[in-house]
Amino acid sequence: MLNQKKNWMTGVFFTLVSLTFVVVFILALIVGRYDISIGNFFKMLFSQNGYEMERSIVVNLRLPRTIIAALTGLALSVSGLLYQETFQNKLVSPDLLGVSSGAGVGAALAIVLGVSSVFVSFFAFGFGVLTVLATMFVAKAFQNKSSMVLTLSGIIVGGCMGAVLSFVKYLADAETTLASITFWLMGSFEHSVMDDVYVLLPIVTICSIVILAISYRVNIVALGREEAQTRGINYRAYRTLIIIVATLLTASSVAFAGTISWIGLVVPHIVRLMLGRDTKKTIPMCMLFGATFMVIADILSRVFTAAEIPLSAVTGFFGTIIFVVLLFVRRDTIREND
Amino acid sequence: MKMIDVKELSFKYQKKGKLVLDKLNFSCEKGTVNVLIGLNGSGKTTLIKTIAGLLENYQGEVFIDGKNLKGLSIKERAKKMAYVSQHSNAVDDFPVLDYLLFGTVNKMNFYQSPKEEDKKRVLDYAKQFGITHLLDKKLGEISGGERQIVSICGAIVQDTDLVVLDEPTSALDIKNQHAVLAIIKKIAREQGKTFILSSHNPNHALYLSSNVFLLRHGKILAQGQAEDIINIEALKTVYGEDICYSVELPYKEISFKD
Repeated sequence: MLNQKKNWMTGVFFTLVSLTFVVVFILALIVGRYDISIGNFFKMLFSQNGYEMERSIVVNLRLPRTIIAALTGLALSVSGLLYQETFQNKLVSPDLLGVSSGAGVGAALAIVLGVSSVFVSFFAFGFGVLTVLATMFVAKAFQNKSSMVLTLSGIIVGGCMGAVLSFVKYLADAETTLASITFWLMGSFEHSVMDDVYVLLPIVTICSIVILAISYRVNIVALGREEAQTRGINYRAYRTLIIIVATLLTASSVAFAGTISWIGLVVPHIVRLMLGRDTKKTIPMCMLFGATFMVIADILSRVFTAAEIPLSAVTGFFGTIIFVVLLFVRRDTIREND
Repeated sequence: MKMIDVKELSFKYQKKGKLVLDKLNFSCEKGTVNVLIGLNGSGKTTLIKTIAGLLENYQGEVFIDGKNLKGLSIKERAKKMAYVSQHSNAVDDFPVLDYLLFGTVNKMNFYQSPKEEDKKRVLDYAKQFGITHLLDKKLGEISGGERQIVSICGAIVQDTDLVVLDEPTSALDIKNQHAVLAIIKKIAREQGKTFILSSHNPNHALYLSSNVFLLRHGKILAQGQAEDIINIEALKTVYGEDICYSVELPYKEISFKD
C-alpha cells in the first residue's frame, strides 16, 4: 500500500519537474536584454521567414547558453550525488577530489598565457582530470585503499592547487588577465556558443548513459566495501567507475561554465527529500532537477541587472536559502552521527 | 561433504606484525552450525572475514564448497555465501524493504534491479523472520536487535548455502540475543544451510547444538560438538581458572565465580 503511494508520488514528482524544465527552457529563450514577446517567439518558431533579429538572438545566443546551462546543471548535480553516495558523506560536493580547483588552475594558466577561449576550456578540462589523477596517485602512495585516504588526498591535492592558483593570479596582470581569471572563476554562460554544445553534449550523454545503467548498483556501493562485496559487487571497480564518470562530468562542466558553487551539494539533498534514498530514482531526478535549477539560475543571472550577475553568486545565494530551509524542515531528523 | 575446508591458514595485518591466524587447519561439513569461541583478540573476526573473502593477503588455502576462495570472483563468492557484519554500515535512511532487496543483486546483471518476483521472495522471508511490520520503516528507526535480525534476513535473501556471521549477538540485550539465535537455529533446521559464526558466549554454541572451535592466539585449541567440547577444563584454557557451570538451567550455563 505504502509502496504504491510512493510509486505514485515518484511519478508525480517526475511529471512536475519535467513540465517545469520545459517551461523554464522556453522562458530562457524568451527572457533577456532584448525583449521577445511570447507571441513573437512562437510565431518565429513556426514560420520560415521574418523575425530575423529574434531568430538570430534565440539560435545563436540564447539556445547554446540554455543547453549548456541545462547540461552543466545536470552534470554537477549528478556528480554531487554520486560522490555523496560513494563516500557515504552527505556534505561532499563534486570538488571532493580537487577537480574544480585543478580546472581553475588550468583556466587561469591558459588566460595568463593568452590562448584563445576554446583552449581555456581544454586547459581547464585537462587540469581538472589531471588533478583527480594526482589525488588517486597520492592515495595509492599511502598504500591504503580506504575512502578516507582518498578523501584526505583530495584535500591535500585540492589545497595544493589552491596555492598554485593564488600564485598564477599573483603573476597575472592586475588590469587585464587577473580580472578575466576572477570572472572565469565566478562562472558564466555569457560566452557559450553552439561549438561548446557539440563538445559537452556527447560527454554528458555518454556519462549519463553509463551511470543510469548502473544506477541501482550505486545503492549497494553506498553500503560500503564489506556489504557491497559480500553481495557480489566489485566495490573498488564500481567506485573507480563512478569517480571517473563524476570527474568527467564535473571537469567538462567547469571547463565550459567556470566554477559554480552549491548546486552539486544542494540539488542531491532536495532530490533525496522528494524521493528518498534509492539511487535508481534519485539519479535520473538529479539530472532533471539539476538541469532545471541551473536554467532558472541562468535566467536570474541576466534579468535583474543590465550586466550579468556571476552564476556562483546566484547559485550561492539561492542555494544557501534552500539549504537553510531544508535543514530547518529536517532539523529533528539530524543526528550526531549523520 | 565439506562446505568449508581451511588448510594451513595464516594471516597478519602488517608485514612485520604478529600472526593473528597461525597455520589453522579445520573443516565444516555441509548443513552444520559452527561457532568460533574465544577471547577478544583470539582471531575470531579475522577468521570470519577471511572465510567471507574480505581479507585477501592470507597464506594457506580456503576452500568453499570445494572451490578455492582465491579462484572465485566476487560475484561467484556472493552466490556461494552471504555475510553478516558485526555492525551494518548501511545508512540509516534506507527503508528495510529496500535493504533486504539488496540481497537479490548477486543474481542480477549490472544494469538490472529487483523485479516483482524478487519482492515476493523477500516478503516471504520477511514473514518467516516475523519482520513484515518493519518493512516500511527506515533502518535508523528500528532497534539494534531488529536491525540484526533484518541483517540476517538480508543474508538469507541472498539464497546461498553458506552464511557467515561475525558476532551476530554482540551489543544485543539477552532477549534479542535469544531472538537472533532462535532464528539461526530455525533456518539451519528448516533449510539445511551451513552457518559459521563467532561468539563471545559459549552458551550460544550449546543453545545451537553446534560444532565448536575454541580459539586462542590465532590457534584452534579444541574442536568438536558443543556438548563434548564445552567443558570446564577446555574453557579454563581459554578463559582462565575462575570459570564454572551453573546447573539450574535446562542446558549448561557458563558463568564466573565471584
